[in-house]
Amino acid sequence: MSFRHIWAITRKEFHHILRDRSTLFLVLITPTALLLLFAYALTVDIQHVPIAVLDYDRSSLSRTFVQQITAGEDIDLYAQVETIGEIEDLLMKGEVKAALILSPNFSNDLLALKGLPLQVIIDGTEPESGVFAVDHIAWRAEEFVNQAVAGQLQAMGVPLDTLQPIDLRIRTWFNPDLKPRNDLIPGLISMVLGMPALSVALTLAHEREHGTLEQLMATPIGRAELLVGKMVPYIIVGLINVVVIPIIAILWFRIPFNGSFILFFVLSAIFLFSILSLGIIVGVFMPTQAAALALSFLVIFFPGFFLTGIFFPIASMPEIMRLEALGLPGTHYAVITRGIFLPGVGLDVLWPYAIMMTGLGFAFTGVAALFFKKKLG
Amino acid sequence: MSAIIETSGLSRLFKQNRAVDNLDLEIQPGELFGLVGPDGAGKTTTLRLLAGLLYVTEGSASVAGFDLRTQPESIKPQIGYMAQEFSLYAKLSVLENLRFFAELYNVSKTEQKERTERLLTFAGLTEFKERRAVHLSGGMQKKLALACTLIHQPPILLLDEPTTGVDPVSRREFWNILTELHLEGTTIIVSTPYMDEADRCSRVGLMYAGKLMVCDTPQNIRHQIEGELIEIFPDNWQAAHQIVSTIPGVLEVQTYGEALHLLVEDGENQLPKIETALKQEGIHINGARLAPKRMEEAFISLIRRIESEAEEIADE
Ligand SMILES: Nc1ncnc2c1ncn2[C@@H]1O[C@H](COP(=O)(O)OP(=O)(O)O)[C@@H](O)[C@H]1O
Ligand SMILES: [Mg+2]
Repeated sequence: MSFRHIWAITRKEFHHILRDRSTLFLVLITPTALLLLFAYALTVDIQHVPIAVLDYDRSSLSRTFVQQITAGEDIDLYAQVETIGEIEDLLMKGEVKAALILSPNFSNDLLALKGLPLQVIIDGTEPESGVFAVDHIAWRAEEFVNQAVAGQLQAMGVPLDTLQPIDLRIRTWFNPDLKPRNDLIPGLISMVLGMPALSVALTLAHEREHGTLEQLMATPIGRAELLVGKMVPYIIVGLINVVVIPIIAILWFRIPFNGSFILFFVLSAIFLFSILSLGIIVGVFMPTQAAALALSFLVIFFPGFFLTGIFFPIASMPEIMRLEALGLPGTHYAVITRGIFLPGVGLDVLWPYAIMMTGLGFAFTGVAALFFKKKLG
Repeated sequence: MSAIIETSGLSRLFKQNRAVDNLDLEIQPGELFGLVGPDGAGKTTTLRLLAGLLYVTEGSASVAGFDLRTQPESIKPQIGYMAQEFSLYAKLSVLENLRFFAELYNVSKTEQKERTERLLTFAGLTEFKERRAVHLSGGMQKKLALACTLIHQPPILLLDEPTTGVDPVSRREFWNILTELHLEGTTIIVSTPYMDEADRCSRVGLMYAGKLMVCDTPQNIRHQIEGELIEIFPDNWQAAHQIVSTIPGVLEVQTYGEALHLLVEDGENQLPKIETALKQEGIHINGARLAPKRMEEAFISLIRRIESEAEEIADE
């Protein structure tokens, strides 16, 4: 490996990035743009949805539950009613968007750990608010069971470890757990910071399409030198976003950042190395930019959406997809960003993920260098 | 003297298509070798093979003493290769492009400085050295491309149609540079569709359907075709073409725009006869003269011969 050759490629690539507006935009601005887009699109802020409540139980537990559901800005208690007829009336008039019915056995069943006997009726003509109410209730109910009931049970002497976490099985397509932004954004960050991988895949295909790759192949440059030289500038530009994106998350979205920034920076650099290696593989195998773009979406971004656990819990995936997810740098990096932002965990917890990313990076680079031949055919 | 480039039975197949077919070529150090032939003849494939850019299907070759199959990376520092669709880094300036290739060829900093200056003067690009490649004219781009392939002073140059699509003035300048390099002792293989360029080579190889049909000096190739050349400029060349084709002693008629080039057995005698024949048919002649044969006529004549032979074989 000649550092002189690597640096020649790197410097040329830098000129290319800085002098080509669309590339510059792609690597510098898109991560921020995507973060804003997804953060707003996936955390729909519907507020003050009016609901009616019919409480057949009338226990202190059910009253606390209703209080907790309607606390905050999301759901307002519009009316406490006595009969189903009243609910129908209110829904028809459109005065409430949803109604919550607590069965007479609400507290008994709950304390007997039989489940949560409640029913939600929504106004089908305005499903967004209704579905939002259902999701919100589901989420709060989970919280309620885990906190309030657990406390109560503990007071009653029931050992906590006999409790099963409640699964309400209400899911929406995106953001299935209706995670608040605090949870969602660190996961999103892991996805948007992978954007330079797309550019690196495109640049190799671009050179192939324009004939400059043929020229490079006729020089004594080493295969690995070329590939590494191409990755370095995108790692450096990517690191700018590793600083900018958390600042946006902290200042704009007010996400608490409890971990070590240095650790975040170092692990992000490793992530960039591994995801860019994946991008290089795409560039090595695809003959044109269009093909490289298509494959990038297939192996870099769709998995980013579906396999890295940002939107779907990996635990609920079929085995084969879980294995695939383990082979993607983003899966491990998502754990790292989430861990460093909120819980603020350190390397003692995150080291396995760091090792996985490093290993994947070297494996991908190796495969790329092995299959990249200085031949046109 | 031993050959600097030597191929024996070199072939390259794309599926069933023999793009280069059983090529035997020997090039001595210092030759300026022209590779001519119609589109699809296999010129690009030949040059790419010699540059180590394509896998060899059959046969063997050595370039600068290294085996093409087993030591392609040892060959690369010895050659300067300019692809047919050469494209420079558009966003880099003239100087940056030169420096980029200098680095890849491990040219030392002091030599870089000296050679860059010399090459810029050589290519007439000194005043444009800060300009980005994308803003250069087509001719200047080709000259820059050539300068980039010369930065490591390779003993062998492989140039694939370096002047295609370039204006005549730039074409002439480009060839003046090649001639200088030739005089300095560089071995050059250049493919070209232009026959006047083939005339400037020390030796010419004519490729057709992957095969090297003729390989000789331009002079010998010109003399390979029979007859003498008569050039006439008639008013109505379509009609004139029909008439002269029937005159005995006319071996071949080629059209060049509005002009007709005739290969005849005895020019001196035939010229007046042809003029009279045309006038009798009412065709006005703006000029007619005996002219020296060029590569162009020889080339077209050879290709015709090859094609008609191929048809005969196909008919049988
Ligand atoms: N990469 C390739 N794949 C398939 N066929 C090719 C390829 N390159 C060239 N050919 C074929 O090989 C033949 C010779 O092409 P080429 O060497 O480009 O000719 P020339 O340069 O003389 O025009 C043509 O029939 C062409 O279609
Ligand atoms: Mg060609």
